[in-house]
Amino acid sequence: MPKPTPYHFFPFETEKVIAALGAEGLLNVLKQMLSIRNLELRGESAYQQGQVGGFYHSYMGQEAIQTGCIAACGTKHWFTTTYRCHALAYLLGVSPNEIMAEFYGRTTGNAMGRGGSMHLYADRLLGGLAIVGGHIPIATGAAFSIQYKKEKDLVSFCFLGEGASVQGAFHESLNIASLWNLPCIYVIENNQWGMGTAANRAVCVQPIAEHFAKAYDIKSYTFDGMDFFSCYAGFKEACREVLDTKRPVLIEAISERFRGHSISDPGLYRSKEELQKNMQKDPILHLKQVMIDHKFLTEEEFKGLDKETREIAINAMKFAEESPWPDPIILEEGVFAPPERLS
Amino acid sequence: MTLQTVEIREALRQAIDEEMTRDSRVFILGEEVAEYNGAYKVTKGLLDKWGPARVIDTPISENGFTGIAIGAAQTGLRPIVEFMSWNFSFVAFDQLVSNAAKAHYMSGGRFHVPIVFRGPNGAAAQVSCQHSHNVEAIYGNLPGFIIISPSNAYDAKGLLKSALRANNPVIFLENELIYGDKMEIPLTEYLVPIGQAKIIREGKHLTLISYSRMLKFCIEAANDLAKQGISIEVIDLRTIKPLDIATVAASVRKTHRAVLVEEGHIFAGISSELGFQIQEHCFDDLDAPLARVCSRETPLPYSKVLEKETLPSKERILATIKKLYQSQ
Repeated sequence: MPKPTPYHFFPFETEKVIAALGAEGLLNVLKQMLSIRNLELRGESAYQQGQVGGFYHSYMGQEAIQTGCIAACGTKHWFTTTYRCHALAYLLGVSPNEIMAEFYGRTTGNAMGRGGSMHLYADRLLGGLAIVGGHIPIATGAAFSIQYKKEKDLVSFCFLGEGASVQGAFHESLNIASLWNLPCIYVIENNQWGMGTAANRAVCVQPIAEHFAKAYDIKSYTFDGMDFFSCYAGFKEACREVLDTKRPVLIEAISERFRGHSISDPGLYRSKEELQKNMQKDPILHLKQVMIDHKFLTEEEFKGLDKETREIAINAMKFAEESPWPDPIILEEGVFAPPERLS
Repeated sequence: MTLQTVEIREALRQAIDEEMTRDSRVFILGEEVAEYNGAYKVTKGLLDKWGPARVIDTPISENGFTGIAIGAAQTGLRPIVEFMSWNFSFVAFDQLVSNAAKAHYMSGGRFHVPIVFRGPNGAAAQVSCQHSHNVEAIYGNLPGFIIISPSNAYDAKGLLKSALRANNPVIFLENELIYGDKMEIPLTEYLVPIGQAKIIREGKHLTLISYSRMLKFCIEAANDLAKQGISIEVIDLRTIKPLDIATVAASVRKTHRAVLVEEGHIFAGISSELGFQIQEHCFDDLDAPLARVCSRETPLPYSKVLEKETLPSKERILATIKKLYQSQ
């Protein structure tokens, strides 16, 4: 039995987060998390029906992290994430229809059917980038732009998996971000598995952020990624820290993914019992329980929300299916950007 | 027109300086570009003029700083990335291939990448196997890049200025051995359009097509052949991609023969592509098979005797042309 990792979790008080968001704010958060969950479930079933091709990486289980980030820090910043990008695109305003249509490869899709499920974008979302670790310098570049343009109230968020934390791109980025004082928030979403390789078989130190941050002379935070309140409180503080100090920080959010690495991964490297145990930590059920305890929500209302968001996802499937395929006549268009129009 | 005599490195420096003056979003970063004034002095004086916010020394982290520049381009800036040598771009290959070349397409046109990657390409003086690559065929294989390789100071300045306004990722290939080549260029501002080849010597009997430093050998060979009554037309591609096949085809239709000269390797090189396009457009016009002079299939050896034999030269061009005529 391996020793439990000695995390130093960022201290937070659930009650303070409740006070800050109120019943309405929490209801909105719950709805977002349920929307993500139902979108993933329907995306998976569309995949199984043969409507979606390529890879499909579900965010199920990790919803509290990015939902907590957006609830705490807002959508005005720059964001970059991995192929596991469906939730962040949704949280940054991309509609379920647009997301599903991209899964289906239709012309109404988020990237006109060019990117598929791993490459979703929004006005402030630089991707949806699918080479492990390759997106980290891109997010660092967005932080560079913020500094260059002297945009004092912005940061750049970079979400990555724990598997990416041993890529050279990660370490080069942290070194430069620290050296140049770039306002970048690196968030390691540690879902315990880099495809089928356990984190402790891939990374030489645990906890990851607490160790690596020291090497780059930056602050680190560890969140309970299964607890929305931990994530919200932690992101709020980390964002304030970066805006105040103009220094990067490194976060590790400890979480569990409820699915395989991608849809084609049966997850044979972990037992069913282990997965069942982890799924008891479901961030949605945790939030639901807190809200019920505070009488912000009834079981019936929860079921209603679940149904409402499920229907939105089902309607998105219908929208996608009825959307036109890209016309092959446009093939080879859009490889290059048009010339800049000078005002 | 008032003229100035400048080396290629100075022409490049002027292009950077003028575009930094014109557009506050333009900045340059790379190894030794600021305090050291550039490994090959292209950026000499720019730090003093523009300061460390826009002339930025990086650590030796090509993957990191290349990606940072691409991210900066996607978020509204117009970076110039100096690779001390294009060989070092291989350390940043993923950033160039997966991000720079694809961001615009993959994002459904949401983000564009106005960025110039520049530095010396190809062989220098005996820098051996790892420092002598020609990268144009490698990057040319990927949709999304504009590839430019000037041979003289006039084109270097005009094309770099166009590259900085191109709104897309540009692979700008210089050459260490010709940085010091001088030429008279206008004192006033000018641009050279991307995608236009240039006939630098008119001829009737055979077209030699090349770019960058190899044109020197083409001209020398053409001079020799002129004494024998063979009139050679020489084309400087200037832009490799998009390829100006129209200028090439018009020349081949006139001369009916073509020899392609490329510093890079023969297999799947630029000449392979150029040659294929020539036969697509000019099959009925050709009086002889196409021929090419490229680097031999070996990493570039250190020994100067072997190095010379590996690279194209006037002698190899002449031998190739002679063979072409003998086989007729």
